Amino acid sequence: MRLHRPPPVAVAGAVALVVGCLSPWATFAGFPGKMSLGGFPGGARLFCLLLVAGAVLFVVDVGGRRRAALATAIGATAVVVVNLVALVDQGGDIGSVSWGAWLALAGGGALVAAAWRLPSGHPPPEEWRRRPAAIEVAVLATGLLALLGAVVWGLEIEESSRFVSFLVFLTFSAVALHHLGLFSGLGVLFNRYPRIAMLLGAAVAVAFPFTQQGNAYWIRVFASIGVFAVAAIGLNVVVGLAGLLDLGYVAFFGVGAYVGALLANASLTTVHVHLPFLLVVLLGGCVAAVFGLVIGLPTLRLRGDYLAIVTLGFGEIFRITANNWDGLTRGPNGISGVPDLAVGGFDFGASHSLLGVTLPGFANYYFVELVLIAGAIVVFTRLNDSRIGRAWVAIREDEVAAAASGIDTIRLKLLAFAIGAFLAGAAGTVNAHVTTQVSPDSYTFLESILLVAAVVLGGMGTVPGALLGSTALFVLPEKLRSFQDMRLLLFGAALILVMRFRPEGLVPSRRRRRELREEAPEGVPGLAGATGAPPGGPVS
Amino acid sequence: MRQFVQQLVNGTVLGATYGLIALGYTMVYGIIQLINFAHGEIFMVGAFGGLTVYRYWLPESLAGNVWVALPAVLIVAIAVSVGTAVLMERLAYRPLRNAPRLAPLITAIGVSIFLQEAVRLFYPGGKRQQPFPQLISSGTFDVAGVTVAWVSVFVVVVAVALMVALQVFVKKTKTGKAMRATSQDPESAKLMGIDINRVIVVTFVLGAALAAVAGVMQGMRFAQIDFRIGFLSGLKAFTAAVLGGIGNITGAVLGGFLLGIVEALATQYVPQGSSWKDVWAFIVLIAVLVVRPGGLLGERVATRA
Repeated sequence: MRLHRPPPVAVAGAVALVVGCLSPWATFAGFPGKMSLGGFPGGARLFCLLLVAGAVLFVVDVGGRRRAALATAIGATAVVVVNLVALVDQGGDIGSVSWGAWLALAGGGALVAAAWRLPSGHPPPEEWRRRPAAIEVAVLATGLLALLGAVVWGLEIEESSRFVSFLVFLTFSAVALHHLGLFSGLGVLFNRYPRIAMLLGAAVAVAFPFTQQGNAYWIRVFASIGVFAVAAIGLNVVVGLAGLLDLGYVAFFGVGAYVGALLANASLTTVHVHLPFLLVVLLGGCVAAVFGLVIGLPTLRLRGDYLAIVTLGFGEIFRITANNWDGLTRGPNGISGVPDLAVGGFDFGASHSLLGVTLPGFANYYFVELVLIAGAIVVFTRLNDSRIGRAWVAIREDEVAAAASGIDTIRLKLLAFAIGAFLAGAAGTVNAHVTTQVSPDSYTFLESILLVAAVVLGGMGTVPGALLGSTALFVLPEKLRSFQDMRLLLFGAALILVMRFRPEGLVPSRRRRRELREEAPEGVPGLAGATGAPPGGPVS
Repeated sequence: MRQFVQQLVNGTVLGATYGLIALGYTMVYGIIQLINFAHGEIFMVGAFGGLTVYRYWLPESLAGNVWVALPAVLIVAIAVSVGTAVLMERLAYRPLRNAPRLAPLITAIGVSIFLQEAVRLFYPGGKRQQPFPQLISSGTFDVAGVTVAWVSVFVVVVAVALMVALQVFVKKTKTGKAMRATSQDPESAKLMGIDINRVIVVTFVLGAALAAVAGVMQGMRFAQIDFRIGFLSGLKAFTAAVLGGIGNITGAVLGGFLLGIVEALATQYVPQGSSWKDVWAFIVLIAVLVVRPGGLLGERVATRA
């Protein structure tokens, strides 16, 4: 491997950053991470210091090094800036910032400048050289373990400023690694060993509760995410695969939740029946699917954007009905006191000891949800790879052409709707037990939007996208308590920005990416969309 | 019978607001085939803009004078709505003109949430309902036993006048002609030398101005506004636009009045109607789309996804 002589500016910048990160950043005590003390990289200084490692790219010659170096340099600078803002905010004035932070800022600036002037060089390889299977699997496992490590690390960070620094660190590291070709390389490995990769992923997911040392808080949050993730995968079938925007999707989730709550003999309920849980899950899914068919039949003949509004209307009708039908749903009070699950004498509410770790009751639900997620993933991927999945893509791209090619569009759209509804309903039944109560105000338009946002931000038409999206949408608000009130504002902004700059989402599906990045044919003024939609009715 | 007439009157007043908002939906849809989800929020920020003038800018001595206060409130409301709409078009929608249909729709939802939250978080006291000035007399009068508020008369008169003015604008002016041409065939319109971007901006501006007036009228009628008013009113107005035949200006007006009357009557005559008040619009919407997707006055039956 060829080595370069690093530009002096880069060396100076890196040295300044390292020294800066080991020096005090605050002139007052009490800032998270003992930032008023020097000699060690406490608090957010650690993230800054880790990003300095990107300076190695000035020396070694690898593909995509300019962009990667730029990303790490900007990331290090951004960490400093975030903490400058936090320091001034907490200390009261600019005097609360100590010299270490200024030195690090200068170093970061120098690194950015030096990275900017690097030659573009060659791109990273599309895929890595083949190596023995054992090594490739080990690489995959390391990648997934790193993911688990990042999640656990992030969850342990308490303070907002430090967590934001961590997010900055994570984001820019990911961008740098992306430019070095790590993710596409891992993606190739993932596709080469799909089963092993899925098993490894499952193992990492199962391992998560054991990392929490008996602390229930995050396991509980993840138990809520799990339900949401199943629903997001279901919605991804509808939106991502079939291209039908459903803005009332949470209604199916709600139907499932009501079925689950009503058939579990809750303490405050209207129906005193207790059916076995496995049956209830299936029943909840089926009832939701029937609702999906009932809603879908009249509306799926319509254009996509009408469908969005009509599904929104149905979602609202569901909520208002649940609110008013006192005889069944107990109106606004809802069904509460849903008992914990018990399958064959195993009480899901109790904590258990396993491998020397005490797992709180929520861990049981978390594991149940993992099973559901696995089921949903199987359904999703098998459908996506099947004739049905290809038909959905055809419908999504051009419904008229699809119909002309002999695809029964209505039936296939109904199928997508029903499958999506089934998954949401099944997730809903579990949710009734996790939250122990079901009431109409949990199924508002906003919840539907959150689901859509999870799918859109994560990446339409991919499973990791839906998982990532729903995790991010749940964990970030929990972590960024100081921004909690601004949560929705940020969602709105995120939706706009993602559609503008990265419409394929964080984890794009290849097909979708190509489709969304499609350029308009030349000479078309570009009004009706690249797919050439017909002009609407005349303004008369 | 008296009650029936009373509800007809109430429905007409309600429908005037729906109709005004529906015009914005229908014009934007007619030109760029976008359901501008955030249009309800344009209506909402208009109402807040009007409230701002009254509360913070008008000196005490003038606030009571209808001839000063009302025009001031309306003008600022329109300015705020139009400004927001133009920014929205420029920053959020224009970059997506060539994107697949789903993209601008999702963006529109994002804009809608963003505007709602911006008002909730940053308007002083925006988290609670804000009292809205009555501006004109809060009195009522009786005609054959039917009670009518003066505000209602004002609302209907202004709405009808604006609708007529819009018709004249679209039919008689050069810009109106350009709008009609663009909605029929944007590519040919461009070849004929029409600046399509300008036409689109004009469309957004007109829709926003009408929505702002509707926002002020809504505030005057209910004497309070909050950041949520745009969502339901927007959806109902969209229903009105679909009912009349989307893309059709007369249809939007007709749909608005019809929907208002249906809602008023259903709320009165269906048992427990008031707790289902917001459902009727959706039921009407679904029924129209199933039975006559083109709407009452629409010609084209949409087939594309």
